[in-house]
Amino acid sequence: MLALVPVRDGVLPSGADEAIAECGGRVVIAGSGTADVAVDGIATEVVLVELGDLEPARWAHRLQSVFAGIDDNDVLVLPNSPDGRDLAPRMAVALDRPLLAGATEISTHRVRVARRGGLELHEQRPAGPFVATLQPGVRGADHVDTAPAVRVHDIAAEHDDRSPVAADRPLDAHVVEVIGPDVQTMDLAEADRIVGGGAGLDSEQRFDRLDRFAASIGGVMGATRVITDRAWVHHDRQIGTTGVVVDPTLYLSFGVSGAVQHTAGLGHPDHVVSVNTDPHCPMMAMSDLAVVSDANVTLDELLALLSADDGEMAS
Amino acid sequence: MSSPDVDVVVVGAGPAGSAAATVLARAGHSVILLERGPFPGSKNMYGGVVYPRILDQLHPEWWTEAPIQRWITRRSTMVMTDTQALTVDFRTAAWGAPPYNGATAYRPDWDHWLADKAEADGAQLLCSTTATGLLYDEGADGRRQVAGVTTDRPDGDLRARMVIACDGVNSFLAKEAGLYGEVDADNYTLGVKETIALPREVIDERFGVRDREGVDIEILGGTSGVNGGGFLYTNLETLAVGVVLKLGKLGAQQLRPEEIIANLKAHPAIAPFVDGGEVKEYSAHLIPEAGLSMMPKMTGDGMLVAGDAAAMCLAAGLYLEGVNFAMASGLYAGEAAAQALTAGDTSAAGLAGYRRRLEDTFVLHDHRKLRRAPSLVLSDRVQHLYPEMIANTVERMFRVDNPSPKPGLRRILNEERRRAGVKLRSLVSDTIDGIRSFG
Amino acid sequence: MRVGVCWKWVSLDNEIDPDRRWAGVSAADEAALEVALQLAESSSTGVTVVTLGPPAADAVLRSALAVGSESVIRVDASTELDSHTVATALATHLRSCDVVVCGDYSPDRGTGSVPAFLADELGAAQALGLVSVDTGSATPGDDASGPIRVVRRLDGGRREVLDVPTPAVLSVEGSVARLRRASLAASLASRSAPVTVAPGPHGRLPETEIHPYRPRARSLPAPTGDTLSRVRGILDVGGGNERAEVITLDPPDAARRIVDQLHEWGYLHRDDAPSGSD
Ligand SMILES: Cc1cc2nc3c(=O)[nH]c(=O)nc-3n(C[C@H](O)[C@H](O)[C@H](O)COP(=O)(O)OP(=O)(O)OC[C@H]3O[C@@H](n4cnc5c(N)ncnc54)[C@H](O)[C@@H]3O)c2cc1C
Ligand SMILES: Cc1cc2nc3c(=O)[nH]c(=O)nc-3n(C[C@H](O)[C@H](O)[C@H](O)COP(=O)(O)OP(=O)(O)OC[C@H]3O[C@@H](n4cnc5c(N)ncnc54)[C@H](O)[C@@H]3O)c2cc1C
Ligand SMILES: Nc1ncnc2c1ncn2[C@@H]1O[C@H](COP(=O)(O)O)[C@@H](O)[C@H]1O
Repeated sequence: MLALVPVRDGVLPSGADEAIAECGGRVVIAGSGTADVAVDGIATEVVLVELGDLEPARWAHRLQSVFAGIDDNDVLVLPNSPDGRDLAPRMAVALDRPLLAGATEISTHRVRVARRGGLELHEQRPAGPFVATLQPGVRGADHVDTAPAVRVHDIAAEHDDRSPVAADRPLDAHVVEVIGPDVQTMDLAEADRIVGGGAGLDSEQRFDRLDRFAASIGGVMGATRVITDRAWVHHDRQIGTTGVVVDPTLYLSFGVSGAVQHTAGLGHPDHVVSVNTDPHCPMMAMSDLAVVSDANVTLDELLALLSADDGEMAS
Repeated sequence: MSSPDVDVVVVGAGPAGSAAATVLARAGHSVILLERGPFPGSKNMYGGVVYPRILDQLHPEWWTEAPIQRWITRRSTMVMTDTQALTVDFRTAAWGAPPYNGATAYRPDWDHWLADKAEADGAQLLCSTTATGLLYDEGADGRRQVAGVTTDRPDGDLRARMVIACDGVNSFLAKEAGLYGEVDADNYTLGVKETIALPREVIDERFGVRDREGVDIEILGGTSGVNGGGFLYTNLETLAVGVVLKLGKLGAQQLRPEEIIANLKAHPAIAPFVDGGEVKEYSAHLIPEAGLSMMPKMTGDGMLVAGDAAAMCLAAGLYLEGVNFAMASGLYAGEAAAQALTAGDTSAAGLAGYRRRLEDTFVLHDHRKLRRAPSLVLSDRVQHLYPEMIANTVERMFRVDNPSPKPGLRRILNEERRRAGVKLRSLVSDTIDGIRSFG
Repeated sequence: MRVGVCWKWVSLDNEIDPDRRWAGVSAADEAALEVALQLAESSSTGVTVVTLGPPAADAVLRSALAVGSESVIRVDASTELDSHTVATALATHLRSCDVVVCGDYSPDRGTGSVPAFLADELGAAQALGLVSVDTGSATPGDDASGPIRVVRRLDGGRREVLDVPTPAVLSVEGSVARLRRASLAASLASRSAPVTVAPGPHGRLPETEIHPYRPRARSLPAPTGDTLSRVRGILDVGGGNERAEVITLDPPDAARRIVDQLHEWGYLHRDDAPSGSD
């Protein structure tokens, strides 16, 4: 098993350490600024490939020769980060292997992939080599105490990618710029108390109220992807692996089912409170206080309670 | 005056609307059936019991294809106090075989099926489209005649030679057309219901039924002191438990409907049925209760009103029948409209055949017969005094108080009546009302 | 510039045993069509919508016609296939397109890989998981249409601005655009419109066992901080999924219970202690 981790300016994507750990510490790190990647403590065997900006078609083409030179690569694991997700299918085609995307557990003979928005796990027993992506946040990663063996694979010696019209250069998008996290989302990323809303809240207006409730307990509002997809809340407010990864001490959820893509971006809150009509959903299972009730009305009641009783203050 | 797009727009693909559209399409008229939900029945709660006899006229042998859950072969009427329950239980094998009587059905299934039938007959069903108002034509004599609807779609005006409003309780269209007088909140009851999942075998066993047999239990009392009634129906793998509550009283009592259902489910006579089930759905909906006394004018120039939109639901204590009245009134509205269109006169006068048909059939006949029933059944005496009186009477009848000899029924009844504080005069008049209504 | 759209017909009620009547297309797929219509409008061409699915999917294709798509094709398939097979089958009908717009992931399968496979098959550039598309950036009527300017979501709250050359496959999030509503006349007309049906690919998903989601055990870094939080950290190892106290309450009681709990944990304090809210 071998991990493939795309990096930008030497920065690892979410879930990189876990993908590497799933492969016992063996990894190919490709991208820009690979020399600067902090591999100590997360890997045992590292191959660095300087490939520049992420261009999935070109990368998949170039990386074939890299893998040819590494043994035990029957299982190739990428983190299911935005870059990993986009590169994985291209790698699967280039290597002529099946793709098992969005896995929570990967071994040579058994793979579990999350489906239906994380409601189900589908277990497959692959017969041959395959490419898989690992859902960030599902396994954690232990610290590796030994220093890794690092090798650099010089791809520039094989292909001249400096000219954008090289003969064997497939079509890719051109990166104009990378925009850092919006200051607007920083409050969410750094918030100590977060109130999250999901599809159990039944209208856009509910999120104004959720915002007010969050403020009244000294917290910040976030939402699930279902909500940001509906444009009820700006996508900057999306909590989860493809949104903002947060790490509050207190998390309150209203009508959130707790799909793995959401909870994996939640960090490790000390206290979790959830309001949901379904007592069995994953979000309820990971709560300290799980209240089976209508989230919409409960929210109204909470607002009424906190505004009527002026003695109640966030501390 | 621009030319109409279709002969008839039917608003609302509930049981009333689909019946009307079917009849019109079969008569060769072009008809568009508008539904605001993504599919017919999507906005309607899981239902209870339907009595489809009227469908013999529309879809002969409907029972071979209708999406029913269980055939009602057992009907119980339960009178309960907090701790007691008296049940009159009736079973018949006849209702479990063609041509059947009543059945439990899920409304999304039922409404979808009826609308499919209308489409198969040539009606055009358009979902996710809400009628937002009426279009009018100015007649030569200055009369305004309904000539279509506006909808929430871009370029959404739909011109028609007439409109049939089947848009359900509190009909916005009938009000817009000025067909309703003052509407009083007291004319409505609130129906709330929980759908509870249980394995099919468990339901069969608890209710003593098998195959597709089902049970309908109507309950008097059991509504936590709020005037109303309760029900418990069996579907294949769910139970429907609900209460119908008088709105005014509900406000005064400061009880929430879901608490009342919870109390009903905890009653010793009900708990064993619902025990261990998982609540799948909770829903609430208004029911027009006052019957005849609140019905709007059902006919306007270019417009008919059918089903709950015309307060056709028969909600009289021991009966909760709306779907059959909706289907029937829709059917008659369709017939009358077809006749008027053929004759080229869709004014109120041209559409008068609708009212006549309702008068001549069970639709208004039953409503007239039962016109006193709702107020009787929901009266304070029936609600709060009689259940206890009756239950105590029966309890004493069957209690063995040896060595005292058994008391006579008349004596117990008199004592219990006095203890409940019911005047003999009221009892007699209520009994007469009851016999007139239900007898 | 010819524009293609991939629509997947899926159940939308997020239940284990879904009700097919609630089936339709995801918010992301709807957004994809809106983006495609805008791209086509700015270059005065038409949109083709392709679905791989069973006959019941024809209804959503008709709704795509009603909002102004030029043609719709259903690739016939009633069983689920792997994403590569799906993409290859879709590609057959999209070869003449300069741009294909997809949703960024489907609610049921949810891997977002079909668009990437499709790009590979079409030899197109890909830009996936977009949060905005500048639909005016493609030049009207220009054969050698310029690149399309888009913004793609990265992790950690970052985004990247891309110029995508054509042919291109884009996949967009649901919030990118809201699909226009069909006019009444178009809705009615589309109900009887024909849907072109093309034969589907053969294939089957590999043998799969399906289980409800269960988190796997996580390894966590050694707990740090004060004693209390270290103990807590240790107790939490194993996913912390057995910690729930589940109670059923009516909303007013639920609200009171939550406020009390926040109080107990020290997130709220009462000015005028000791009187409580109950
Ligand atoms: C590649 C990929 C990346 C993703 N990234 C993210 C991400 O970063 N962040 C993210 O959040 N999601 C992400 N998702 C989506 C994720 O899989 C889930 O679909 C999403 O998190 C579910 O959102 P939800 O909980 O709001 O909705 P649902 O799963 O629909 O849950 C709604 C919940 O509300 C409850 N409910 C319903 N009515 C009520 C009521 N009246 N009162 C109380 N409760 C009620 C229901 O029981 C249910 O539990 C991603 C998916 C994929 C495939
Ligand atoms: C709790 C409860 C229990 C009941 N139990 C029973 C029972 O056991 N048996 C029984 O026979 N009856 C029962 N009823 C009554 C029954 O539900 C109604 O009488 C029946 O549904 C009336 O049918 P309808 O077609 O007139 O209206 P509806 O079924 O209400 O249909 C109206 C349709 O119009 C649509 N609509 C409304 N406005 C618009 C608009 N502006 N544009 C487009 N579409 C619109 C709605 O979406 C809906 O589909 C019960 C009612 C309740 C509340
Ligand atoms: N069967 C299909 N038919 C048409 N388009 C599809 C199909 N499956 C996936 N897609 C497209 O690919 C996108 C991502 O889906 P997925 O890769 O399954 O997560 C969807 O939003 C659609 O645009």
